[in-house]
Amino acid sequence: MGAEAARAYVELAGPEHPSLIDVGHLVDERFGIVNIPNSVWIDEAGMIVRPAEPAWPNVPEAAVGDPTAEGAPAPPPGRMGDMMAAASQIVTDRAPYLAALRDWVEKGGESEFALAPAAVVERSGARGLDESAAAAEFELGLFLHGSGEVDAARAHFREAHRLAPDNWTYKRQAWSIEPSPLEGPMARFWQGPLPGAEAEWAYEGDWVKDANGIGAANYYPKFQP
Amino acid sequence: MLLTGNHVSRGEFERGTGWSIRPEGACRGDLCVPLTGVGQSTDDDVDVLPLAERLGMAVIRHSDGLAAVGPASLGGRALNSAEAPELMLPDFSGNDFDLRSLRGQKVVLVAWSPY
Repeated sequence: MGAEAARAYVELAGPEHPSLIDVGHLVDERFGIVNIPNSVWIDEAGMIVRPAEPAWPNVPEAAVGDPTAEGAPAPPPGRMGDMMAAASQIVTDRAPYLAALRDWVEKGGESEFALAPAAVVERSGARGLDESAAAAEFELGLFLHGSGEVDAARAHFREAHRLAPDNWTYKRQAWSIEPSPLEGPMARFWQGPLPGAEAEWAYEGDWVKDANGIGAANYYPKFQP
Repeated sequence: MLLTGNHVSRGEFERGTGWSIRPEGACRGDLCVPLTGVGQSTDDDVDVLPLAERLGMAVIRHSDGLAAVGPASLGGRALNSAEAPELMLPDFSGNDFDLRSLRGQKVVLVAWSPY
């Protein structure tokens, strides 16, 4: 959590654009983002022309070997193998997203991918009182976790997950700050119970269980022209 | 927005929710919700609970001294209008960056995390 979790990646990439730190997930709340990576396109007048949707860089996809493919090396045993199997099923619609982005950059409001204001609002995701309450529960969870009240934080995170089950950000953030048996940058991807301590896991779901629950191929919505 | 009591200043309410209190009501961009019957707000005092109810903001209480206010749920969608919400966040040096400073150019706002 916080700037230090992201600093090494940003320094390595050396972007020319501003890189901002959003510890409180304000961008999610204001723009309706429920998973990452996501983008929002905003025109010169400050009008959103595409609301939150999965966003991909113009670099080849990192190879995640499908451990179920013929000839693939045997996956590691246990959860690590399950994680790799689920991750290999994730679909990232890079080509159509990037083609649409180039089209908008070139044509602006004339681009077929620049949506009218009513369509932007309609596509921006559901937010009723349950989603509002989930955001408040999540904010309390973040604050209490940062204050060292971990059990109290988990209770609020659980409520956020119950109220907004399609919000992956609430889940991934809560799961990723739990203990991991892995070291280094992979540690935060564990997002599930420790081996042999499944009964002590504080949440109903975990990344492998929930990704497989919806079908990992559906983890990111398909690009919608 | 976290609350330690039921009242905040107008500035705190605006920074915390993205909604400003104006004579015509609570406004976000070009959308204003009349506050008739909600009570008067001054610069230093906004009574949050009735305002939250009018805007469809859930209030979740953790204890007597700590609660959180969720985002507005008017209209049932995450965005109330296509006008980009106010957004001010710090960079790695701790300097605040205002999304509005990019007006006049196309912006791709990318949300990302190392998890």
